[in-house]
Amino acid sequence: MENKEKSNSWGLIAFIAFILFLVNPIFSLFFIIVTILNSKKIFKNLNLQNYQQNLSNNHKDNFNGIEQSELALEEGGIESGSETEMPLQLKSLLLESSKKRLEKRKKYLHIALNSTLEEAKEIISQLPISDRILIEAGTPLIKIYGTEAISQIKAMAPAGTYIVADNKCADLASREVEMMVNAGANASTCLGVAPIETIDSFIEECEKFNIDSIIDMMNVESSLAILKKLKKLPNVVMLHRGVDESEFSKEKQIPYYQIKQIKGNYDILVAVAGGDDIREVQRAIFNDADIVVVWKSFYHSTKNISNLANEFLREIV
Amino acid sequence: MLDNRSKYLQIAFNRSLDEVRDMIAMLPASEKIIIEAGTPLIKNYGQKGIAALRGWWDEKIQKSGYIVADLKCMDRGSREVEAVAEAGASAATCLGLAPTETISEFINECEKSNIDSMVDMMNVEFPFEILQKLKKLPTIVVLHRGADENERNKEKQLPHDQIHRIKGTYGNILISVAGGEKSRDVVRTFFNDSDIAVIWRSFYEAPENTANLARDFLKLVK
Repeated sequence: MENKEKSNSWGLIAFIAFILFLVNPIFSLFFIIVTILNSKKIFKNLNLQNYQQNLSNNHKDNFNGIEQSELALEEGGIESGSETEMPLQLKSLLLESSKKRLEKRKKYLHIALNSTLEEAKEIISQLPISDRILIEAGTPLIKIYGTEAISQIKAMAPAGTYIVADNKCADLASREVEMMVNAGANASTCLGVAPIETIDSFIEECEKFNIDSIIDMMNVESSLAILKKLKKLPNVVMLHRGVDESEFSKEKQIPYYQIKQIKGNYDILVAVAGGDDIREVQRAIFNDADIVVVWKSFYHSTKNISNLANEFLREIV
Repeated sequence: MLDNRSKYLQIAFNRSLDEVRDMIAMLPASEKIIIEAGTPLIKNYGQKGIAALRGWWDEKIQKSGYIVADLKCMDRGSREVEAVAEAGASAATCLGLAPTETISEFINECEKSNIDSMVDMMNVEFPFEILQKLKKLPTIVVLHRGADENERNKEKQLPHDQIHRIKGTYGNILISVAGGEKSRDVVRTFFNDSDIAVIWRSFYEAPENTANLARDFLKLVK
């Protein structure tokens, strides 16, 4: 089918080139060069689509019921030209929409969900709809429910929400990233304390699957030292004070000064995690953080997640 | 729990649950085998995966076996331990790279939940430094060279020399060695007085060969 289309379009190109040749030979030469350049791009896209189709076929079982019903919905909504091709196109559409990436020079509120899926649902239902809100399937959720945590949270959230899988990869990066991608994550995390080989392979793998890579600098003394050792830069560096650290030794501080240090040296996004109150959120934004990560213990004390989110959105827009 | 005078072979499982079920069915029913739910398996299936392994292995050896959940805990020590203990794990792992507060909390919670605590020293240069900072010692220290390290950087060596030093200093702590995949590595691991040798790659690559591999490796466990 594709071959036939390809030969048709070549015929058309030859015809136009011929007409242009009659008008002026220079035009025709110009036209041919442009089409050759374009066709290279087209083939690349075609290959990518095939690849994505393979991917989605291989992991069909990972698409859960809700996503399938979403698929059915969209299928009904779009007026179809040729019915047989529809599902494949839709799938790649779906995949593309799941490939949402973070943008530089925008601020984001990153809400981490860590307790149970029921609670996650409750919290998500209170959130305002905004492309500035990122939702994270926290490490405990992933370890308790597996990748289902990610696909379920994705299904609960409004369509097109950016989902972060906090898998805190420490080894076997390629397998973990692939799992997170199949579950529908837009970003995955790797530990900054992991072996450099793991972080390198993690970043490569994220690039391959077109998702954002986040390096979590928890318990890392100098984030810059880690970044220097890497072959490629991640998309996001997360400065992070752990929950246990915050609870048991209060004097440890989030290293805000590192935000400017990192951004001064590298063109990447910086996320800050581990703040205790709204003041720390403000301080993070004031110190030029791009992403502020909050979780339950935080917004429990600030009463209401939707208030917090609205306040945040007012502040950044 | 584990016996100080015995040696153990820990096999980590990382394939899909269906395959793991078949693999466990092929294993010889030996008490010297420890079954590990690998990190990718846990992140893929969650508690369900650990519970499934527990069920299959118990059925195989006709008594309660030893199941390790390779949590690689980095934060929220107590919450994660609770979850895997509930799922039926006999031991859980925590990263030596985690904040000291997390490791301490992890060890406490393991004691509370009555399971063994393992601290995984992957990418830790001086395991001693970590152990010294802890209020309580873990049950088992895992000396570990990561799989990505192994693949991309052949020079890095397993720190076999650390085994005697740790045992000499801390007495009845158990040592597990992970990251050597050949039978030669396993022999060396036990020769250097380690209590547990962890393997997974050969099983991961040839699951149909599980029975033979396990038999061959078991011969090395005296």
